[in-house]
Amino acid sequence: MKLILEIFENFKMSFEAMISSPLRSFLASLGVMVGISIVILMGWLLDGLDNSFQKTFEIIGADMIYVDKWDWTGGKSWKLLRNRKNLTLEQALKLKEMHSSAELVIPNFNQWGMSIKYEDETIEGMSLVGAPSENQFTPAGELIDGRYYTEFEDNQGDYVSVIGYNVYKTLFPDGNAIGKIIKMGGRKYEVIGVVKKRGTFIFDFIDNQVFVPLNNFIKVYGTKVRSVNIGIKAGSKDKLDEVRTETIGLMRIIRNVKPGEENNFSINETKVFEDSIATIRNYIWVVGILLTMLSFIVGIIGIMNIMFVSVSERTKEIGIRKSMGAKKRSIWTQFLVESSSLTLFGAFASIIICTGLINLARVFIKSIYPEYSDVVEFFPPYLSLDLILIASMVSVVLGIFAGLIPAVRASNLDPVMALRSD
Amino acid sequence: MAKGDVVIDIEHISKIYEMGTQKVFALKDVSLKIHENEYVALMGPSGSGKSTLMNILGCLDTPTDGKYFFKEDNVKEMTDNDLAEIRNREIGFVFQTFNLLPRANALKNVELPLVYAGMSPSKREELAEETLKNVGLSDRMDHKPNELSGGQRQRVAIARALVTNPAIILADEPTGNLDTKTGDEIMDLFNNLWQSGNTIILVTHEEDIAQNAKRIIRMRDGLIESDEENKNFGKHS
Repeated sequence: MKLILEIFENFKMSFEAMISSPLRSFLASLGVMVGISIVILMGWLLDGLDNSFQKTFEIIGADMIYVDKWDWTGGKSWKLLRNRKNLTLEQALKLKEMHSSAELVIPNFNQWGMSIKYEDETIEGMSLVGAPSENQFTPAGELIDGRYYTEFEDNQGDYVSVIGYNVYKTLFPDGNAIGKIIKMGGRKYEVIGVVKKRGTFIFDFIDNQVFVPLNNFIKVYGTKVRSVNIGIKAGSKDKLDEVRTETIGLMRIIRNVKPGEENNFSINETKVFEDSIATIRNYIWVVGILLTMLSFIVGIIGIMNIMFVSVSERTKEIGIRKSMGAKKRSIWTQFLVESSSLTLFGAFASIIICTGLINLARVFIKSIYPEYSDVVEFFPPYLSLDLILIASMVSVVLGIFAGLIPAVRASNLDPVMALRSD
Repeated sequence: MAKGDVVIDIEHISKIYEMGTQKVFALKDVSLKIHENEYVALMGPSGSGKSTLMNILGCLDTPTDGKYFFKEDNVKEMTDNDLAEIRNREIGFVFQTFNLLPRANALKNVELPLVYAGMSPSKREELAEETLKNVGLSDRMDHKPNELSGGQRQRVAIARALVTNPAIILADEPTGNLDTKTGDEIMDLFNNLWQSGNTIILVTHEEDIAQNAKRIIRMRDGLIESDEENKNFGKHS
């Protein structure tokens, strides 16, 4: 209790001392401010990245796994993947029939590099996806306009399409797409739905898709020389492990993989990206930590220096305090509180400055590069409470560290000598 | 503690400073007893050892040799913290140069010893206000030292010394920086304090200031030269 009272008293005094010489306090804590700012900005950047990746996972489907001939990780040689036998529609349908834990099993075919035309407007490099009507229950089925095709339309193989956001924006800048006829591969399709924007700067291509009924795709392109991709919806993230295990087991049976042999198919899921994000995060951390360390060293030296000055300026005061009954502990507490007040002040200043900076950056990027506006939205205009707490705590620790030697020196002063000094 | 009890009891104390290879005897062999409610003047020219003795009596310094009992506690065996506590609770210092904290107002200065005593802010303020009133400064509480006259500053310092209700008040040349008139006023204040039961040790080299005390101890060359009742006591003012 006594100690808390003293610390509080000291804090009040330090604060008064700080505002009585603001320039000196500012210069002393400049190094710490730079360091804290780097920590804050780094944390904010990582928060933003996490946000955007999180969003991306939701788009691909955090509870989805994909069985494919191809592998997302890039860990396997292209030759090996190419030599795998195609996954066939029959295998996919068999999997669908046998699967007990998955909510949905959706075979689909892809045709890359399509150009799509509406009147005089053309968009190149789009991908055509032939998927059953159940596809509307996956993240790709969220529409901003129109409807999805029905099971009936799928069975009939109708020429209807649900277009991705980039296709929609390019071909129908005035916004009215439903009922319009587009041309793909020389065939006419009626637009019946528009998928909401899903892509981020990481996954822009996901909006370059056009969905047509699976049976229409088969009718037009056939199933030969084409590997089917099977989307499997687990229903929830918790069920992923169970669904993955069952899927692998069933696929091995369906594809006649002998015990001990490697899978001749790949299971793709968002987890793959989490690993690559971890790598990016690590790079940011390493660079950030290095810069932070550097500026903290400079910062600590700055504070330590000003504290030594403070101790020698106030030798007399220390003598007075000691003659009034201040114990060593009281004296070093006073100087530690003072040094950590300086750094804490630095941290608060950094928090304010950084909040200003990030808001400025957001406004700046939005006005200069409007096409990145959606990216900016992943980076919040405020600092998270965690960051503020971390910055404050780190600053106090730094202050204590920087003030330690001066504080001990002050507390060890001989009261008689200290009183005599001027 | 009853009136007349021994507060300070020193026996054969010495203090040696080592200046390089040379040993300087600041105090050679000093024995002394000071009782409750005594009014003692410690006199002597500079270099006589009176300042060293005052520092030892005030527990700011410890003797090289000899015994020092403060209210029967052996000071020589005390740790730094024990000494700090004695200074806090039992000793009130009044200095020649006032030694107030320049950034704090009168009230905060008087509160300072109470901060180290661990008193709550509200009690502290109450007690400090009361003490400042008693030294006649009720209208100057929120003034900083540089806004006060020398006499007022010394009154603040005296209030600060009194506020913990210490066993002794140690005043080191309390009028040394004041003009005669103000000095007399301060001495009147000490007189009042003594009359109301305080024990006062006055360190001075001025004869007429020393004449305020009831007992005068004269020092020379680290020894007590004389220690006697002041025959002129009461006639002085």
